[in-house]
Amino acid sequence: MPQKGFFTDTTICIGCKACEVACKEWNQLPDDGFVFSGLSYDNTVELGASTWRHVAFIERPVALGNQETALGNFSWLMMSDVCKHCTRAGCLESCPTGAIVRTEFDSVFVQPDVCNGCGYCVVSCPFGVIDRRADDGLAWKCTLCYDRLKDDLEPACAKACPTDSIKFGDLIELRLMAEKRVEELHERGLTEAYLYGADPATQPGTEGLNAFFLLVDKPEVYNLPSDPVAPAKRSGAAWASLAVAGVGLVAAAVAAIWSDDESSGS
Amino acid sequence: MNPVVPDENAVATYYGRPVLKQPVWIWTVPAYFYVGGISGAVLVLGAVAQIKRDPGLRPLVIAARRLGFIGQAVGSVLLIADLGKPSRFLNMLRVFRPLSPLSMGSWVLAVGGALSGLASILPQKHRSTRSLSDVSGLAAGALGIPLAGYTGVLLANSAIPVWQGARHSLPALFVSSSVASCASLFEMMELSPREQRIVHRFGVIGKTAELICITAMERQLSEREAVVKPLRNGVAGALWTVSKVLTVASLALTLMPGQSKARRTAGVLGTIAGIGLRFAVFQAGFASSRNPKAVV
Repeated sequence: MPQKGFFTDTTICIGCKACEVACKEWNQLPDDGFVFSGLSYDNTVELGASTWRHVAFIERPVALGNQETALGNFSWLMMSDVCKHCTRAGCLESCPTGAIVRTEFDSVFVQPDVCNGCGYCVVSCPFGVIDRRADDGLAWKCTLCYDRLKDDLEPACAKACPTDSIKFGDLIELRLMAEKRVEELHERGLTEAYLYGADPATQPGTEGLNAFFLLVDKPEVYNLPSDPVAPAKRSGAAWASLAVAGVGLVAAAVAAIWSDDESSGS
Repeated sequence: MNPVVPDENAVATYYGRPVLKQPVWIWTVPAYFYVGGISGAVLVLGAVAQIKRDPGLRPLVIAARRLGFIGQAVGSVLLIADLGKPSRFLNMLRVFRPLSPLSMGSWVLAVGGALSGLASILPQKHRSTRSLSDVSGLAAGALGIPLAGYTGVLLANSAIPVWQGARHSLPALFVSSSVASCASLFEMMELSPREQRIVHRFGVIGKTAELICITAMERQLSEREAVVKPLRNGVAGALWTVSKVLTVASLALTLMPGQSKARRTAGVLGTIAGIGLRFAVFQAGFASSRNPKAVV
């Protein structure tokens, strides 16, 4: 089975949120309450246990590279965020029950009948994607529409996207398409366009994302970490610290017990 | 006053919204860090005392196994209470995953608890059951080594900046604090003069090592102001400072010569310090997860 993924081209996102709605409907996710956040057009605010697509709206007092503005500089960026299905997935590597698995499509999937809601994946995701639902106590996130893929259908969000900002397909083809798109945008004067997480070379911490993005500003602007790392890649130092301290612990016990020899006759 | 750091305000954020998710864990988790840590340290102490093969130390060996087992049993309940779906707690033993400190810890706790339980309940009168009890006690002691501090690895192996940033020292801090907490617990108990001396030395080593680890961890985290911030402000900062002061006070009292009242007080202060330290580190993670500027 070829690796499947998303290429989300934020330059053609129009912020319609059809992806959010399609995802909620297909996956039968509960609503998150009707809140007015006051953050541009973003009332969804973040990805979560019951929100697997989230459109971010960024209002900037900066013009895009090839943009002509009449009244001062301004640009409005929109980006549909989703689980990245990382090559080195922090959630999967941390999961103590084996509930989180790598599927035949190379996506990262949480088996709801296995998860016991320990919550370790929640703190292990460098993107803050996965979360635990309060009602059933289980961890949930984007499944890359595993059920639809099984039936040769594309994920609901990609299907609903009216501008094809969300592209679904074979990862190899998506990467070629994305590189071409960046070149094209550079030629048009949008020189700030770049790919986020498209390959292991530019994002060694995750060794590449199966859902990658085309962005035109720094990752932090979109609420993405600039250098995400699967925690286990850095935890060698922690295990070493434990090993050294473990030797110290035994030494402390030996010192406490053995140095009492002179009175042991009593 | 602050070290030279990049201007935090220059870091872009998405309306100041957190990049990471807040932990979903409740108070039972840091409570387990304390209880499980003591359990690990006391099982090591008991196993080492057992190796000495000194009849005079037998009561300490037996007490250590029982305390260790009680800690593991209580700790398991605390951890199960934190699960979103407690009825599925046995799924923790569905896989063996060395990459996940939580998976490793579950195995250490389950196997170690069975061993210390066996060592505790087997009759000591018959030679055969006694030697089986001793073998179990030794094995439980060996598993006590990781039990005393794997929780530090568990926190460090996360995306939360203050926990991940402390990865070089947090596991050692938890191990040394487990030794200190174990000694403090014993200091509050009725002991023979010889046991008192053993606990005294164990405690002095543990408390001193704990203070060294605290200093090391603060230094490492201070490389970035946004990362160390939760340990300097708010609830976590207050708990952190209080537990540091109480550890110093407890150590000072322990070092005062020959006063049993001082010994008890040192035990009480050390216990509060040990619990406070776990809650401080735990709480700091919540504050850290909310700060997008701490995330690189």
